[in-house]
Amino acid sequence: MMLTEQADRLEALLVEREVEQFLYEEAELLDNRNLHEWFDHIAEDISYRMPRRLMRENTASVFSERGYYFNEDYGSLKARVERFDSEYAWAERPPTRTRRYVTNVQVTRDGGELADDELHVESNLLIYLSRGDSEDHTFHSARRVDTLRRREPSESFEIVDREIRLDQTVLSTDNVSIFL
Amino acid sequence: MAAGDNSKKTAEALREARESLDEGHFPLAFFHDDDLHQLEIERIFGQSWVFIGHESEIPEPGDYARRYIGDDTFIFVRSENGDVNLLFDSCRHRGAQVCRAEQGNTSHFRCPYHGWTYKNNGDAAGIPQKSKAFKNLDREEHGLVHVPRLETYEGLVFASIAEEGPSLDEWLGDFKWYFDVHMKLPEGGMEVIGEPHRWVIDANWKTIADNFNGDSYHTAWAHGSVLDLELGGEETVGHAGTGDSLDRHVHCDGHTTSMRGFEGEDVFLTYPEEVVEELFTKEDLSDAQWELARQALSFTGGIFPNFGFLHFGDTTDDPEKDVAPFFTIRKWRPLGPDQMELWSWGLAPKNAPEEFKQRMYKMYTSNFGPTGNFEQDDVPIWKGITESASGQFASQQDLQLNYQMGLDWMSEMELDEDWLGPGFAYSENLEEGGMRLFHEQWYEMLAGNDRTDATGTPMNISEGQ
Repeated sequence: MMLTEQADRLEALLVEREVEQFLYEEAELLDNRNLHEWFDHIAEDISYRMPRRLMRENTASVFSERGYYFNEDYGSLKARVERFDSEYAWAERPPTRTRRYVTNVQVTRDGGELADDELHVESNLLIYLSRGDSEDHTFHSARRVDTLRRREPSESFEIVDREIRLDQTVLSTDNVSIFL
Repeated sequence: MAAGDNSKKTAEALREARESLDEGHFPLAFFHDDDLHQLEIERIFGQSWVFIGHESEIPEPGDYARRYIGDDTFIFVRSENGDVNLLFDSCRHRGAQVCRAEQGNTSHFRCPYHGWTYKNNGDAAGIPQKSKAFKNLDREEHGLVHVPRLETYEGLVFASIAEEGPSLDEWLGDFKWYFDVHMKLPEGGMEVIGEPHRWVIDANWKTIADNFNGDSYHTAWAHGSVLDLELGGEETVGHAGTGDSLDRHVHCDGHTTSMRGFEGEDVFLTYPEEVVEELFTKEDLSDAQWELARQALSFTGGIFPNFGFLHFGDTTDDPEKDVAPFFTIRKWRPLGPDQMELWSWGLAPKNAPEEFKQRMYKMYTSNFGPTGNFEQDDVPIWKGITESASGQFASQQDLQLNYQMGLDWMSEMELDEDWLGPGFAYSENLEEGGMRLFHEQWYEMLAGNDRTDATGTPMNISEGQ
């Protein structure tokens, strides 16, 4: 009994480590703007959402039921990725210099609707953004709620569902021309 | 402008700028100027009708949203009897703000400082220990202050902080004829979906005003990526002055709209057939308005001073999916000579199927707002203009921006003599008269004149034509 319990905990630790490594690698791909490689980790049944955060008198964390910044499926997310291949995508010419900090990673298996090969993963995301020929910089801060699916036989994952819960209600960036 | 007797210098510079506008010039330095910013806040935003929000954002009694005119904060709130109010957010006791949230629902606003409480129609309801502390204070005279003038047009609520001036009806003038097409085409009108997108950018507000007042020329360059990816049709995104589309730049009572369409065809902004058949109605439109809607593929426009709109067809978020329309209205709120807050709303026909409304909202966010495939690329450009305007060079060299496109020595321009609406329409979209008209009105208001003193005539059409 003890042994099984310990084995389970070790297994859970290994999974957590794998997930963290995946999130770090993902962050690196995005920071380096290897967008197509990043998109390789997107599942074909992806739902990628960034709802509009609301600011209410008595509730700390509330999001719009209808309003959002992103609500993408595979095709529309792909189009957003491919847009940056165009020499006219001025927002990212030159590219924003970003650094993603991924912390507070929490991994659970019991998400209710999760398939056997899926994990519920939450993480905090802080992105430093610096643009243009200046010292100017700003940040995005968010909680991400993901469903990751294990890709067999590789040890890697694909992103099946992502909700980006931004902390700002009024954005302080020119635009959102990066992926979070 | 540097220190010194600024107001005299400003007045002089303004006069010179007005004169050079007739030559199609406008000073770059005016896109970043502290003195002008103060004047704009006082003489334009202190006098004009400024967009506040759509009634559908606060449908129930007690629903409220914080809204702004220039630097001032107001509470846009529906009171218990259903009336829409705009209350200055400042307690009548010591000035503290009584509304803290961006949106919500409440029967009363309570000041956190000393507990003065107001009904959602602004009336003072409670003053703690009044009988001892303020026994002679007239409660009726100490409600939250209403904005002097608040009017609604097709659910769009505008306010003016000036006690007197033209009515909203007069301000919009015959331009309503055009905006009616957007608001009244679907039976039941339009409604706002979700909450507005808001973002702060380091650019002068006049850059976006220029863009919405007839900049068809920029589309294919600034938004070439959308064209490259086939997310929009050639006529929606393509180069101005090309193709066989019906392209018109319309000026009407100080406001503008540019349109593309197809003559004699049933286009209806590429709304799906079932929406056109089941929802679109001639009931509240004239035959000519219906005819305009029928042939239209896209509209862009601006209502002076800081309201813009886009109603586009033939766009998609994915080249593999069907095209769909979107409709967005927006305002730009100056925060300084080099900063503004953009507010952008997505709309859809109120009585359309929920699924279609969601598709329209999706089209809006895919194209405009902070994540829009179009708008992402606009903002850094406007920021660059503001930065170029900020230094010594622009003013010392008296650098003039060029708005000459469409002036008679630059292009062969014609008015559409058979144009079906009020105002006048240039028969093509390679011209910048809408921007000149914007700056003319900007000048008249800053000079303390009436906005309608702007000539607003097709100044690029020579007498003989």
